[in-house]
Amino acid sequence: MKYLFIDTCTSHLVVSIIIDNKIVSYYNEKIDKGMSNYILPEIEKQLKDNNLEASCIDAIFVSNGPGSFTGIRVGLTISKVYAWSLKIKVIPISSLEVLASTNTNGNNLALMDARRGYVFLGGYDKDLNPLINDSYVLFNKDEYKDYNFISYDEFENKIEPNIDILKVINKHKNDSGINPHALNPNYLKLTEAEEKLNDKRS
Amino acid sequence: MKILAIESSCDKTSVSIIEDGEKEISTVVLSQMDTHASYGGVVPEIASRMHIENITLVIEECLTKANMTMNDIDAVAVTYGPGLIGSLLIGVEAAKTLALIHNKPLIPVHHIAGHIYANNLVKRLEFPLLALIVSGGHTDIVLMEKDYSFKRIGGTLDDAVGECYDKVARVLNIPYPGGPLVDKYAHEGSDTYDLPLPLNDDSYSFSFSGIKSAVINLAHNEEQRGNEIRVKDLACSFQNRVVEILTKKTMKALKEYNVKNLIVAGGVAANKGLRERLEVLCNENDINLTVPVIKYCTDNAAMIGAAAYFAYKNGAIADTSLTAKATDTLK
Repeated sequence: MKYLFIDTCTSHLVVSIIIDNKIVSYYNEKIDKGMSNYILPEIEKQLKDNNLEASCIDAIFVSNGPGSFTGIRVGLTISKVYAWSLKIKVIPISSLEVLASTNTNGNNLALMDARRGYVFLGGYDKDLNPLINDSYVLFNKDEYKDYNFISYDEFENKIEPNIDILKVINKHKNDSGINPHALNPNYLKLTEAEEKLNDKRS
Repeated sequence: MKILAIESSCDKTSVSIIEDGEKEISTVVLSQMDTHASYGGVVPEIASRMHIENITLVIEECLTKANMTMNDIDAVAVTYGPGLIGSLLIGVEAAKTLALIHNKPLIPVHHIAGHIYANNLVKRLEFPLLALIVSGGHTDIVLMEKDYSFKRIGGTLDDAVGECYDKVARVLNIPYPGGPLVDKYAHEGSDTYDLPLPLNDDSYSFSFSGIKSAVINLAHNEEQRGNEIRVKDLACSFQNRVVEILTKKTMKALKEYNVKNLIVAGGVAANKGLRERLEVLCNENDINLTVPVIKYCTDNAAMIGAAAYFAYKNGAIADTSLTAKATDTLK
């Protein structure tokens, strides 16, 4: 089976092609600005390097948030259009689960700085079974003493992510996937305008 | 040549299939106006969220309406800017993906070029021409000597005319989007308020912040004095000044550049006051006036598909590295 893996939710852009459970091409770089300048050229390059037509891909695995609002949308728009237009299976995965795929000696807490003391976090065991549901919370590190902190952002005693995409794919390859029209970001957070409007109404 | 075009620069998700820059095969426009109305204006993050939710549905509906598949399409076009960056990105990524996976050329289109070419769907453009572009984001006078060649000869120094309408509407407690209602009230009221003619000089520059402030101050002062504001009369006085300065400078430019064709483009091209005044002046001065039908005035992908054909003939082709641009000068 031929898979395309895309993650645009964090500061790192990840694009990979996996054929029969082997990573045949892999890009994972920190992108400071303009994720959209890099992702499609990278997908195009990897397809070409592997002599693949776009339609040869059997399934797309894409992280659907949380994370940078714009970043999430870049990866998901591409996946949505790709999967819808070529009738390919698409499987959304939590961006926190992807971070938590980093191999450690215990349970992982994937963390993303969401500003003003808030974080996006999710707790996972080494087989990626969820222990703490993905959420947007005011962060208190003492509540998570049994976890290894995995993050690209600044947290005390954190471990730099070293994601294991084969582990993620093997966990999800039998998922039924989602109708591409319904493939949408999981922001875990309302827009500021919506929050203000809700405050006014309540 | 059949082009599938995508427009998502502000609050409309739109997809259209246009043949040879002039024949509309099918168009779908999904407006987010009702959602943004709760906030009194377009909220960029909400606009982006709605674009991604709807993009594939709109593309699919457009192809279904045309009874076509991507195999029937010769090229993909997209508005790359100017506009709201997060909104533009959805259209740009969608268009790039379609072009890549179906091996079609990708044509980048400037949003204002689209507004101009909306007129090509009404009647083939005749050159040289002047285009008066009036919308919520733009107020420009552009000279075109041939297809897809643009020379900006003037424009606003501050607010766009449509933006000014929306702000004045807010002061007069007219609900968003206020432009069409100000226009309606202007027709029902009388020009009784003393407002200045904005930037009444020999240049082709416009400035609408002054008249906006004048309306705000006038409304405020009347309120302080306990006088009721005659909303319809104020709308009429405001619109008369705006229309007068727009038409005065446009007619002057037509004369100076010795151009006999005028086209109007953009959302404010739907303004009845502006249309009526231009019709009279163009009749008097023997100018061919073209205004788009109302459905092509506001943002839509049909106009992008029309412009794309001429952009393509002019050599505009992009690859997967195409990026959205919030601001970009029409060249």
